[in-house]
Amino acid sequence: MITTTVTIINKLGLHARPSAMLVTTASKFKSEIYFTKEGLRVNGKSIMGVMMLAAEHGANLLVEADGPDENEALEAIKKVVAAGFSEVG
Amino acid sequence: MVAKKRQITGSVISSGIVLGTSRIVWQGEVEIAELPIAASKVRAEIAHLHRAVQETVTELKELRDSAGEKMGGTIAKIFDAQLMIAEDAEFLKQVEAEVLKQRRNVGFVYSRMIQETVRPLVSSNDVYLRQMATDIEAVSSRVLAILSGSEKCDLKFAPNTILIGKSFTPGDIISYRQRKAVGFVVSKGGLNSHMALIARALMLPVILAPEGWDQIPGNCRIVLDGTTGEVIVDPSDDDWTKFQKKKRKHGPSTLTKIKRLTNFPPVTQDGRTVGIGANLSLSGPADALLASREIPVGLYRTEFLYLSYGGFPDEQVQYEYYSQIGQLFGQAPVVIRTFDLGYDKLSTHNIWPDEENPALGWRGIRPMLEMTELFKTQIRAILRASTEGSFRIMLPMISDLGELELAKKMINQVKLSLKKKKIRFDEEIQIGIMVEVPSAALMADRLAESADFLSIGTNDLTQYALAADRLNNKVARLYNSLHPSVLQLIKLTVKACKKHGKPVSICGEVAGDSLAVPLFIGMGVDLLSINPNRIVDICRLISRIDSERARTLAESVLESGSIKEVKDRLTTFSLAIAKK
Repeated sequence: MITTTVTIINKLGLHARPSAMLVTTASKFKSEIYFTKEGLRVNGKSIMGVMMLAAEHGANLLVEADGPDENEALEAIKKVVAAGFSEVG
Repeated sequence: MVAKKRQITGSVISSGIVLGTSRIVWQGEVEIAELPIAASKVRAEIAHLHRAVQETVTELKELRDSAGEKMGGTIAKIFDAQLMIAEDAEFLKQVEAEVLKQRRNVGFVYSRMIQETVRPLVSSNDVYLRQMATDIEAVSSRVLAILSGSEKCDLKFAPNTILIGKSFTPGDIISYRQRKAVGFVVSKGGLNSHMALIARALMLPVILAPEGWDQIPGNCRIVLDGTTGEVIVDPSDDDWTKFQKKKRKHGPSTLTKIKRLTNFPPVTQDGRTVGIGANLSLSGPADALLASREIPVGLYRTEFLYLSYGGFPDEQVQYEYYSQIGQLFGQAPVVIRTFDLGYDKLSTHNIWPDEENPALGWRGIRPMLEMTELFKTQIRAILRASTEGSFRIMLPMISDLGELELAKKMINQVKLSLKKKKIRFDEEIQIGIMVEVPSAALMADRLAESADFLSIGTNDLTQYALAADRLNNKVARLYNSLHPSVLQLIKLTVKACKKHGKPVSICGEVAGDSLAVPLFIGMGVDLLSINPNRIVDICRLISRIDSERARTLAESVLESGSIKEVKDRLTTFSLAIAKK
């Protein structure tokens, strides 16, 4: 299992569309993926879980990936978060 | 069943005439009791959940496809997030596990787990996050309704079904339309409610009949006359034929006459061109028709985006939506009004505080200037889309010069950040304001100096000038946009615009009133922005008006001391035109 920490940089936080993007990204991989924010740990392939994080702009998330493609999964997630979920501004 | 012919008179929320069969829709909160489940029944209980989820998914997909067909792809995306929520396998697995563990009915377990999920969202300070709770609840309420069997989910109604119910949400209207409902009778919901806006955009007749709606039997022949507000229950065959004829004359086909309109924009007898624009609230069948004739949009409301989205749509969703409008209308100017929201439109949403007096409360530009991120997000989306069409930005409910300056400052900040990122936009985009608060009309001279254009919103201006709510039956008789005081406020506004060389338009309902049009032309109003189905009639009317005579008319009308005097003068003028 590997882990990393990502920061939500888009201004509007992890609202509906970014949550959906994050889950879609995580779901592409075989590995199990979990996000943790302030002690709340949720399944990265569950939109309800990701929404429940209520991650606002500036929030830090611990990302865990465990499985055959864990490296690729972590990279993909880092990329989509760092791009601010393609939001301008 | 044999019912005696009955006639109920209500008020028109959305016009049009339909003939069909009545069907009653019962709505209400779904109460879910906690019930113990025998071990042998647990499997069946879980199967029950999956069936309910599957039905919800089917329903949402149909909603999405229909929204995409009627209103474009951006709106359809609204349902994508809801579909993901409905289909969340991980969440459903947890529900299953809890049902097995607790041996409680699945409806109870599901509902409790939904509550746990939305709790952190509801209490967040972030509007976008709070709105995800609304998305989740939109899904869970469907699942729960199916689980508790309170909704019989026959997906299609018989052709020409007219639904009778206490009230409908905007989502209901879209979804029932997709299930082939053709009209609605309701007991609640105002002319300016979003349900009403959506029904009008989709050209579905709605009649508000607080008295008598519950006396309409189901499965009975019924006629809705959305020109008069009449509901005829079990009409005679003669009546039926009579209304079929009337329907052909007044139906949505009035709009298609736009195609055959010979002169646009219309010109008065003495050669003065008068601007005509359309008021739109929701992209729908009317858009393409208007665009094909290069008819400008004098007022494009954006509140509905909030409604169909169940919250503030993010930048990308808005950008795609505005781009689509821009591409469709091309060079024809489209005035986009920024979110005009308030407690009256959003009382069901948890983000709005309760207000004692919402009309005088936190609405229009006011919340947007405080929720700056939401305002800037919308401005960014409009600016990014501005290269694809000919947009103007209009700010609602400006009551003070300071508000305009602050909004302009925020718009400039957005422009700067876009420039830094080398994102192209229309740098010369015009920024105008709605004049709908008397203080703005009184200060029009200063506002016209600072704004690029002014548009008079007579609906609210009348309500504020006369302190009369037109939806309140007790004072509705006081509400009249032709009251001399309202006309004086319009005069001040027009005068200020002429002084500063800024265009002035009227976008309230009275702009489409045949009686009032000569007056506004005489006053020098540059553009009348009206309901699309009034365009053909008003254009024809304008071609029969002499602008010099209209000017003399305006002078005398503005001397009037009462509504009666105003109306008498306007009626004399309009009879004289009709004789010609």
